[in-house]
Amino acid sequence: MAEKPQEKEDRERWADGLIARRAAERAVPEEPAVVEGEEAEDTGGFGGSYGSGLRTRLDALHELVGLSRTRVESEALAEAGRVLDEAAARQRLSSRHTVVALAGATGSGKSTLFNALAGVSVSETGLRRPTTSAPLALTWSEGAAGLLDRLGVPGRLRRRPLAGGAADAELQSLVLIDLPDHDSAVTAHRDQVDRALGLVDAVIWVVDPEKYADAALHERYLRPLAGHAEVTFVVLNQVDRLGTEAAELVLDDLRRLLDEDGMALGEHGEPGATVLPVSALTGEGVPELRELLARFVQERTAPERRIAADIDAAAARLRPAYVADARTGLGERSREEFAGRLAVAVGAQAAGEAAERVWRRGAIRACGSPWLRLHRWYGRLRAHGSTDPRLASPVEDELTARQRVEQAVRIVADEASHGLPAPWAQAVREAATRGAEGLPEALDELAAGLGDPAARPPRPAWWPAAVLAQALMTLLQLFGALWLVGQIVGFVEPGLLVPVLVMVGGIAGGPLIEWACESAVKGPARRYGQEAERKLAEAAAACGRARVLDPVSAELLRYREVREQYAKVAGPRPSPRIVGEGGRGGGRGRGGAPRLGATRAGARVR
Amino acid sequence: MVTLDERPQLIDALSALRDRVAAVRLPLPLPDVPRARQTRAELLAQLDDYLVPRLKDPDAPLLAVVGGSTGAGKSTLVNSLVGRRVSEAGVLRPTTRTPVLVCHPEDHHWFAGLRVLPQLTRVWLPQTDDEHPAAEVPDSEDNALRVETAATLPRGLALLDAPDIDSLVVENRLLAAELMCAADIWVMVTTASRYADAVPWHLLRTAKEYDATLVTVLDRVPHQVVGEVSRQYGALLDKAGLGDVPRFTVPELPESTGGGSGLLPESAVAALRGWLAHRAEDPAARQQAVSRTASGVIDSLDARLPELAGAVAAQYAASVRLTGAVEAAYRGQGARVRKELGKGAVLAGDARARWRAYPRDSSAEELLDALTESLAALLHCAVSAAEEGIREVHRREPAAAALRTVPAGADREVAERIGLEVRRWRRVLEELAEEEVRGVEKPAGRGAARAALPDAETVAGLLAASHHGGRRARPAGERLAELLGAQAALRLRDKGGDLVLTHVDRVLHAERDRRLAPLDALGVTPEPQAELIAALSVLQKEK
Repeated sequence: MAEKPQEKEDRERWADGLIARRAAERAVPEEPAVVEGEEAEDTGGFGGSYGSGLRTRLDALHELVGLSRTRVESEALAEAGRVLDEAAARQRLSSRHTVVALAGATGSGKSTLFNALAGVSVSETGLRRPTTSAPLALTWSEGAAGLLDRLGVPGRLRRRPLAGGAADAELQSLVLIDLPDHDSAVTAHRDQVDRALGLVDAVIWVVDPEKYADAALHERYLRPLAGHAEVTFVVLNQVDRLGTEAAELVLDDLRRLLDEDGMALGEHGEPGATVLPVSALTGEGVPELRELLARFVQERTAPERRIAADIDAAAARLRPAYVADARTGLGERSREEFAGRLAVAVGAQAAGEAAERVWRRGAIRACGSPWLRLHRWYGRLRAHGSTDPRLASPVEDELTARQRVEQAVRIVADEASHGLPAPWAQAVREAATRGAEGLPEALDELAAGLGDPAARPPRPAWWPAAVLAQALMTLLQLFGALWLVGQIVGFVEPGLLVPVLVMVGGIAGGPLIEWACESAVKGPARRYGQEAERKLAEAAAACGRARVLDPVSAELLRYREVREQYAKVAGPRPSPRIVGEGGRGGGRGRGGAPRLGATRAGARVR
Repeated sequence: MVTLDERPQLIDALSALRDRVAAVRLPLPLPDVPRARQTRAELLAQLDDYLVPRLKDPDAPLLAVVGGSTGAGKSTLVNSLVGRRVSEAGVLRPTTRTPVLVCHPEDHHWFAGLRVLPQLTRVWLPQTDDEHPAAEVPDSEDNALRVETAATLPRGLALLDAPDIDSLVVENRLLAAELMCAADIWVMVTTASRYADAVPWHLLRTAKEYDATLVTVLDRVPHQVVGEVSRQYGALLDKAGLGDVPRFTVPELPESTGGGSGLLPESAVAALRGWLAHRAEDPAARQQAVSRTASGVIDSLDARLPELAGAVAAQYAASVRLTGAVEAAYRGQGARVRKELGKGAVLAGDARARWRAYPRDSSAEELLDALTESLAALLHCAVSAAEEGIREVHRREPAAAALRTVPAGADREVAERIGLEVRRWRRVLEELAEEEVRGVEKPAGRGAARAALPDAETVAGLLAASHHGGRRARPAGERLAELLGAQAALRLRDKGGDLVLTHVDRVLHAERDRRLAPLDALGVTPEPQAELIAALSVLQKEK
């Protein structure tokens, strides 16, 4: 419908998480704050340090932001940086004071409640909507000037309660801020509220029976700030306009809505937001609120809790960039497969087999009988023509199969980056690609350096003996033949048996030796081939490891380091509600459903 | 200005436009799509619920929709106007979940059918009396519209109590928007503490933009401040250029929060009722109220339809970009594969080792095996590289989210498909070689060919090596020429070369088409944009 464009724009703006901090850059104090006598105390260092748990988380977040600045580019990281800045800024200021802001819609009675708490009319109330247009501060004691400077509350808008505030001993450390509305047509007010909400220690949301279910309040503020439940009060003002029964109903409904927003409720002593009814006009419930505030500010833990909630929110937003949804790392199997692929790329297996065959062929040829060798040579000549196909081979470059190397690197990078958050997966892939740049050339060199194992196979020690024996056999044949010829000619005494035996021995012994050699050579030849294959494959694997796997592992290690830092940041209490926050409705719904029932039951008990 | 006479051409033009709007599909998740979808839904709602029925039946009762923020007292106001509790009111927010339409009993037939708001199921309740207020009715199904009749309303006027425009329940918000679109008269209800809220002002500005017949009610004003609040509200309206909008003030009474009968006294709402009754009963006022809203809506189409058409065009542009990225990636890889083939990249690694050992230490079959595998590896690498490039481009393209359907194990399937195609190539190559050898055998018997009768496998191996080896495998070509004769060898090599390229292209094209299939299935075409604009210009002519 109709109002859609604007409404939609609003919804988009509401969905932007901790909107409250968006305006932080504009945090220029309007006036340099001249309130006499307060600076001295301030510079005297009232700023305390945070507890060790929080400090560890802040340090870890600092580390995390530093470690991942080059890898992760995101709004969330900038957000985390802002959390750090704010934490540091708050730490420098008075830890004695707790800054509590009154926020709410126009006409909910923030200013009236402000006055009721002050006990004196300091904030202008009226019917004109919107009434308050600039934040107004109320301090019960000295020393809060720095805090107010940070909030940009000018000196003329700083007030003291009746009698200087000395009367309310229990509220001494309270700094109360009256904020403008967040939902009027004057958008400048909203910007002021957003800015201030990022800087105060705690917030009192003032709602009224008419507006307590406004989408503007819940979607834009309470849902994104659900993690800040411990520093949140929700006050249902104007209960005088409702009957007692109706007030109870509305209060329960408000609790239900807060629960649906994902905000924990501080019931039954659990930490969480406090909900209570007041009427600023009649004063009903105001003493209770004062008492609650007094207890709250005396604890002095609000700044820490607020920062902790900020870190929770920042961690939840950073989560997708750091937490993997699967087991990560490079398995042994992936490494072996990578080495195997590189071995194929350099042709280790084929080279090994070729070496084995060359060796065997050489051995058999060397030990073969001359006749047989003559026959084989002739056969080969017939089969393949006169030219040796290898003779004319030109200079060889690119011995390695480029495409196989590329594919191997791609697969190993995919496996290593599997399940990693996007920025880290990208980093791993880049590391692999960078490493792979000179890899094929390196493998070429490697293959060339190792030499062709088939080119000059070594000769085994028993070779000369075999050759000698083979020659002997041939000699025996010739000797026997000559002897026979001599008998025929009559030159030698006839005696058929001996020369025939000698000749037959020679004729049979030649192939016999050849056969024996052939079977003897099998084992060593295979070993030789395997050795050649192994050498080549190992060299290729070593090359791949040094150039690709090591950089990838280094990147994975860096991720793991960052992941550990993130775990420290996320803190020891992983809250499912905070994880679900940040616009993901599903998670919130799941977290909210069971608690909803509990709250209703609790309400009934009351 | 649109008159209330029936205008068949105008209605036809609007119906045609409505069909075009309904036919708009926005499947690619571009950043402006949610907004365009909303525009589309609003246009449809306004055409279906308001414009077409209004122009078809100029005599139908006026529909006044009461809208406003949570807790503004809309239901109480409607009940008081009717004089009976027809819509439940209460202190819990949001109260009205099922919208309630109230009309005179004789007007009932106009609303019982699906003339207006056809997507809402009618819930019809028997006449209830004051002892059994309607509040007992259980919340029935979603998307329901309760139709009530009350004789206290003047004929020719219907009131609709809408849900909150700023409800926490998103469906309520959308429903409220839709209902406002169906109104002849917009009744905006706000309160003393809300009149400066941002959300209702958006609605007021929209009403001004559409030039709808508008009336505002300042509700729940405490007695003592009536004058001041009313004056301030008037000043704000003046500032927004809405100074001439009729304004009514209703004081805050115990009844506002459910006290007493839950109905405001007659005197509090008399002025508003009088104004509404005048619109319904006086023909001139009625004519003015209706035609102002109707022509306002028609005029607003001039701006809103081009916006929708723009979103449709953006869809097509994104689709072209996505397709272009896929095609460019595969084209680039195709060129690279050809270059690598020419350079002899296939004859590397294993295949090269086999080739070096050939023919003495490795057989032609082994050589062919190695070459086949090597070619498959080259193609697989090319496909993977193309996919990687596409992923990279698509990562920066929001519309690509619609296509992310690469299942696990896809890589293995790609390897299988490539293996299949490469084996097919090998088989064809072997057949080619066999044929050639048979051809050589016949004239054999004299000359050089007699030296050896080449076997088909050798020829196939040499042929493959000569294609894939580049310069490195020149000896293979020479040897082939020696075996088959120069001319036959040349012919064979040409044929074989074509064969390789055919199969390489087939692999890459098949993979590219698989990648584009989901995008094609979305059927994003440029026509809807042109049709929308055409339908709009027809309407502009008829106006």
